[in-house]
Amino acid sequence: MSETRADRGRGAAVQTTGHAWDGDLQEFNNPLPRWWVWAFYATVLFAVVYWLFYPAWPVGEGYTKGPLNSITFEADGKTWTTHWNTRARLMRELKESPAAVRQRQYLEKVAAAGYDEILADPDMKGFAWSMAKGLFGDNCAPCHGSDGKGRIGLFPNLADDAWLWGGTVEDIETSIREGRRGFMPAFGEALGEAQLDDVAAFVLSLSGHEVDPAQAARGARIFRGDAGGCHYCHGMDGTGLKSQGAANLTDRIWTVAKVPASPSLEGKLEAVKRVVREGIRREMPAWKGRLDPVQIKLLTVYVHELGGGQ
Amino acid sequence: MSTSATAETYNYKVVRQFTIMTVVWGIVGMAVGVFIAAQLVWPELNFGIPWLTYSRLRPLHTNAVIFAFGGSALFATSYYVVQRTCHVRLFSDKLAAFTFWGWQAVIVLAAVTLPLGYTTSKEYAELEWPIDVLITVVWVAYAIVFFGTLARRRTPHIYVANWFYGAFILTIALLHVVNSAAVPVSWFKSYSVYAGAIDAMVQWWYGHNAVGFFLTAGFLGMMYYFVPKQAGRPVYSYRLSVVHFWALISLYMWAGPHHLHYTALPDWAQSLGMVFSLMLLAPSWGGMINGIMTLSGAWHKLRTDPIIRFLIVSLSFYGMSTFEGPMMSIKTVNALSHYTDWTIGHVHSGALGWVGLVTIGSVYALLPRLFGREQMHSIKAIEAHFWLATIGIVLYIAAMWIAGVMQGLMWRAVNEDGTLTYSFVESLKAMYPYYTVRFLGGVLYLSGMLLMAWNVWKTVSGARPAEAPVPQAA
Repeated sequence: MSETRADRGRGAAVQTTGHAWDGDLQEFNNPLPRWWVWAFYATVLFAVVYWLFYPAWPVGEGYTKGPLNSITFEADGKTWTTHWNTRARLMRELKESPAAVRQRQYLEKVAAAGYDEILADPDMKGFAWSMAKGLFGDNCAPCHGSDGKGRIGLFPNLADDAWLWGGTVEDIETSIREGRRGFMPAFGEALGEAQLDDVAAFVLSLSGHEVDPAQAARGARIFRGDAGGCHYCHGMDGTGLKSQGAANLTDRIWTVAKVPASPSLEGKLEAVKRVVREGIRREMPAWKGRLDPVQIKLLTVYVHELGGGQ
Repeated sequence: MSTSATAETYNYKVVRQFTIMTVVWGIVGMAVGVFIAAQLVWPELNFGIPWLTYSRLRPLHTNAVIFAFGGSALFATSYYVVQRTCHVRLFSDKLAAFTFWGWQAVIVLAAVTLPLGYTTSKEYAELEWPIDVLITVVWVAYAIVFFGTLARRRTPHIYVANWFYGAFILTIALLHVVNSAAVPVSWFKSYSVYAGAIDAMVQWWYGHNAVGFFLTAGFLGMMYYFVPKQAGRPVYSYRLSVVHFWALISLYMWAGPHHLHYTALPDWAQSLGMVFSLMLLAPSWGGMINGIMTLSGAWHKLRTDPIIRFLIVSLSFYGMSTFEGPMMSIKTVNALSHYTDWTIGHVHSGALGWVGLVTIGSVYALLPRLFGREQMHSIKAIEAHFWLATIGIVLYIAAMWIAGVMQGLMWRAVNEDGTLTYSFVESLKAMYPYYTVRFLGGVLYLSGMLLMAWNVWKTVSGARPAEAPVPQAA
């Protein structure tokens, strides 16, 4: 346990430092691997050179700017030359990168064009489609799905030909910009189970389902009379009313009642009854303020093309 | 050496306690990891229960594997190594026992509060202030025990492993106290004293040095004892250990800003973070070279001794991830890798490959000695554990590399007309196969740990706690 400096020279057989711990723990004193030392020096050299080109060391209130490097960019209609920094680089990229230039040209063109022009021009329509695909994926897909097919009972399908609030570009734009509030009162208490059965049978008969004719006839009286008052929104013929977002009940397209999921007639009746009993209360938020007018315009074109726009 | 009944012995009790808890917390932490990996494939697995959600279990996973598994391993081995290489019993048995029970209390409190949603929201420092205070008290006790033992050593020189353990203990104290500084508003809520970019910088100064000093320096201490011991060879180069130790601890401190490239952090800080990370490459590799070269002259042991294999492969993963890290800190590379699963892969090649394997190897070497056994109950099981772990890691990191690079490329892909090619949700959809492979890798790694638990149980049950005499000065 008492190795000294003198031991080191003598212990040529085992070139250790001469120390030992815990019995047999010893250390050789091999020189530093050459390549390792040079690798270390190389990284240090790289660092020093890097400091000459990029902001690096804090000095007082400021920092070393990287004296051998500068960057030129445009902002506020003026050209600036300054030491390299990420903000300037971002400004320059937003201004000059090929993708940014191309995108800006398209955006300006789309902003100035009307919907009929955009829809008639394959180039602009193509741009709107690819730009809005990203916008849709990031903003709309969480509810409507990345394919826009929505989810029955929760979020309307945007990829079919049925439009609760209208399928013209003007209607779609309003839906996105201002949002929509879908509301149908709950009729459970007002009608009671027996009358709910009748109404459900009539509703299904509207889309050609084979139901008990007597029951459907009773349902029709409720639907078209003041007992149910369904016709105020859905119309006497059940084709819906755009201004209220009231669904067309004759087209076999279901947005809330889970009719397609039920193979049996009983199941379908129950699905319709459930909606009439409980009503509907759903909301799509307004996107103005969150998306700019051009983005809303692009999304309008996208949604219009996604389904059978009118 | 005389071993009379009254001879002074080493304190093995606290080492035994921490060693057993290393295995227990390893399984718990990794099981939570596997569970949340499964949630990324099957989101329904949170069952709509708030405390089973990914957002609450993820910090539980990281805290459990870093501070419960890794922490227990560091306590166990540092207490063992500092005694054995200083030839003196621990400075204070009572304080050492306090660190054990205190640290277990911290872990249990973390396991309760994190799922309940109590968090400071600082990554790897999520625990609320009363627990932070307890950590500080335990850590001060730890420092007293460790440095007190070192001060009373009967050897003229301080063994290299103890430099690393010492640096780890001192630096973690500093990092923890500075980063966790907060103003409490109630027992369960506090606000950081820092704001904005400064808060981010302090957080990642802490975060990166938690990697540098907790997960690197501490485990290098472990490596510097168990590799030469297990190989029966002297450490390759004393000189290299001196140079890489000082280079490592002086450079690590600056590397944190590479976590904040292209953010509101000032450019000068980003530049320094990047170049200091690059300069860290050689010092990090110094440890790997010293460990692996220690085996020169005894390479055949790789074939015969699965413990050596654990240790040497852990050093290979250490070398790989300390190469990958500096590369990812280069701003141009970071522009692709940041916020992707590549980062997750990188962390796990370090955590599963380096920290996990070196700990497992060391525990297999240490445990029999603590219980008076010649060796572990089953060498075959160690062998099998090695392959389960290695294949698990490879699956994990390969999946995350592919996933990460794919995400980075999909996010930046631009069409002819200047629009983005993919929406975010499309890149998420593309991750399914890789998340599944990652989950499988985790299952393999965890099953290795379960095998280890069986082996530990078989080794320990029926064994009597060992007492080892302190060598008397000649």
